[in-house]
Amino acid sequence: MTPDPAEKIANRYSGFKVKPLIGPLLIFIAAVYFYVLAGSMDENPMPGQVGPAFWPRLILILLMASCVLKALEFYLAFGKGIADMGVESAPPDVSVSKLIAMIILVLAVVPGMEILGFALANFIFLILFIRIAGMRKLPSLIVTSLLGTIFLLYLFGKIVYLPLPKGDWIFNDLTIFIYRLLYII
Amino acid sequence: MFDQLALLGSGLVSTFEPLNFSMILIGLSIGILAGALPGITMLNAIVLVLPFTYLMGIVPSLLLMTSVYCGGVFGGSITGILFNIPGDPMNVPTTWEGYQLNKKGFVSKALGMAIMCSAIGGFLSAVIMTVASPLFAKVALSFSTCEYFAVVFLGLASVVVIGTRSIGSAFISLFIGMLLGTVGMDDIYGAARFTFGSRIMETGISFTTVLIGIFAIGEVLDQLSVKGKQEIISRLRPKTKLPSLKDLWNLRNTILRGLGIGVVIGAIPGTGATVASFISYGVEKQVSKHPEKFGTGVWEGLAASETAVNGSTGGAMIPLLTLGIPGSGATAVMMGAFLLHGIQPGPLLFAKSPESVYTIFAGMLVCNLIMILAGLVTAKFFSELMRVPEDMLSAFIISFCLLGAFALRNDMSDVWFMVIFGIIGYFMRRFDIPSAPMILGLILGPLAERYFITSIIGAGNDFTIFFRRPMSGTIMVISLALLIMPFIRGLIKKGKKRLEEEA
Repeated sequence: MTPDPAEKIANRYSGFKVKPLIGPLLIFIAAVYFYVLAGSMDENPMPGQVGPAFWPRLILILLMASCVLKALEFYLAFGKGIADMGVESAPPDVSVSKLIAMIILVLAVVPGMEILGFALANFIFLILFIRIAGMRKLPSLIVTSLLGTIFLLYLFGKIVYLPLPKGDWIFNDLTIFIYRLLYII
Repeated sequence: MFDQLALLGSGLVSTFEPLNFSMILIGLSIGILAGALPGITMLNAIVLVLPFTYLMGIVPSLLLMTSVYCGGVFGGSITGILFNIPGDPMNVPTTWEGYQLNKKGFVSKALGMAIMCSAIGGFLSAVIMTVASPLFAKVALSFSTCEYFAVVFLGLASVVVIGTRSIGSAFISLFIGMLLGTVGMDDIYGAARFTFGSRIMETGISFTTVLIGIFAIGEVLDQLSVKGKQEIISRLRPKTKLPSLKDLWNLRNTILRGLGIGVVIGAIPGTGATVASFISYGVEKQVSKHPEKFGTGVWEGLAASETAVNGSTGGAMIPLLTLGIPGSGATAVMMGAFLLHGIQPGPLLFAKSPESVYTIFAGMLVCNLIMILAGLVTAKFFSELMRVPEDMLSAFIISFCLLGAFALRNDMSDVWFMVIFGIIGYFMRRFDIPSAPMILGLILGPLAERYFITSIIGAGNDFTIFFRRPMSGTIMVISLALLIMPFIRGLIKKGKKRLEEEA
């Protein structure tokens, strides 16, 4: 007995997952938002010309079309029973706590550079990052971070003449003191 | 012809004068080091040496700058292969293959192959530059913005071949990159786009910050966050191993294609080594019998991009010397050096001071040969870093990236962008979204817009202008063919499979 066509289709797509389509859908929604936003900049100073919003709008339309293409690709691949669309393959296990700690540290070093100055912020960053990454020996950590920071200070401060951030308040004076100590200035 | 050879001969003699030769050595070392350090580009290095040329004559000045240029375009591939950090955008395709080859245990040979292909590409392009300068200049002179757009479009179309398994993902990534390229003040109309009232956003998003963030920070986070990870890359000090003649002979077609693309693209003002590198890689993948292996460590991919990058150096000098039109930022600075010494580059340069011109030609030939030696020494220096434990090395890579991003404009906003894109890059890896098309879109998007809008304005909003001009029309048709190629290939595969099933 041949199965009912509707039942056949239902069986074929019974395991269809919506999760992989969330990404393209979110990008599609964002593209629509930016398309609307681009309309507000359409102050064309030269009548008869395409204007500054033309190019971003063209890209956004193509982006939306790409999201549809991606969804279509997934749908067709699923229909054929191809699981490997880059979403089904299991990525290696991640240490979430380590990852979060590293991300926080990488984000924190930027305001750290502005407030503490590069010299101090980089020294602290190196100690903490190498510690999180796995090195346990404290003396090695401190020596490596100290020597590394001094090397970077010489390379970028003395040779490349890059005006590295010196920090605010008392840290500015502290950085200048360190620079004088190292004969960088 | 004999006159040219005689001039080249005297140029070679002049190149080996102690001052001139030492300028080549110094320039190569500075260039390779600057190219290898993320954030410090070859262009930065050329600008950096410009003040020193005030004290010299025109020949040593130009030899110094030319050597920095040749060394700089190669340098970025060393850190790309060793640490997955391309020193410059032009080294991105090399990094895709080189780093994967490193992971497979072929680091020594990958470094050697990069050095040899760079030297071959640079040397042969210098030969072509010497012989065919006037012809190339004539062709490039006939280019309008339509042709420039067509060439950039060809670069963008290469996304279908550099993309991953999913064309949809590659396109999404490409258009996100192009959209990021529209952030900031619009070049043509002066309108602020997607700045959200922020002054930081007005300057736009530098592709170098995105590049450093995605490739370096993303990689570090990806590598260190894996639970119970085995060391993938050998921590032993790799020795650079130059490829055998047989290896090079096996890659002869790839090298010749890369060279051709490099010279032609390099000769077109406004395009340069980055476009040449991406197009060469894309073409190589397209003609390959195993395109699905690209991105997993393929020698053809590495050789194609490296040859094209250095092949473009000779090409970029052609419009500068024969027309006085700088083809790239680097040649623009060199033009500055010419003017500083009271020499106007252009057709008259060949008539007024042919000795200087042919010394530059000879200098480029010598420089590319010496680059093999300089490359080996520099690669050895960077290879020493491979012995440093990964946790320590990763921390220093981030420090370098912070400084590299800051060095671009001495602005902390670039550091913020770099860090944010680094985190985005990590998640793109985790969710298998290719980052390469995004980088390509960010680099070529603004160029494409500039040429597209200028052409459209010139043609009175006639969108068919790109197809009506023979040169741009041909390039556009090739680009469109490249775009639909995967779909046609898919259909052919499907047809073959069906036939096999029926049989």
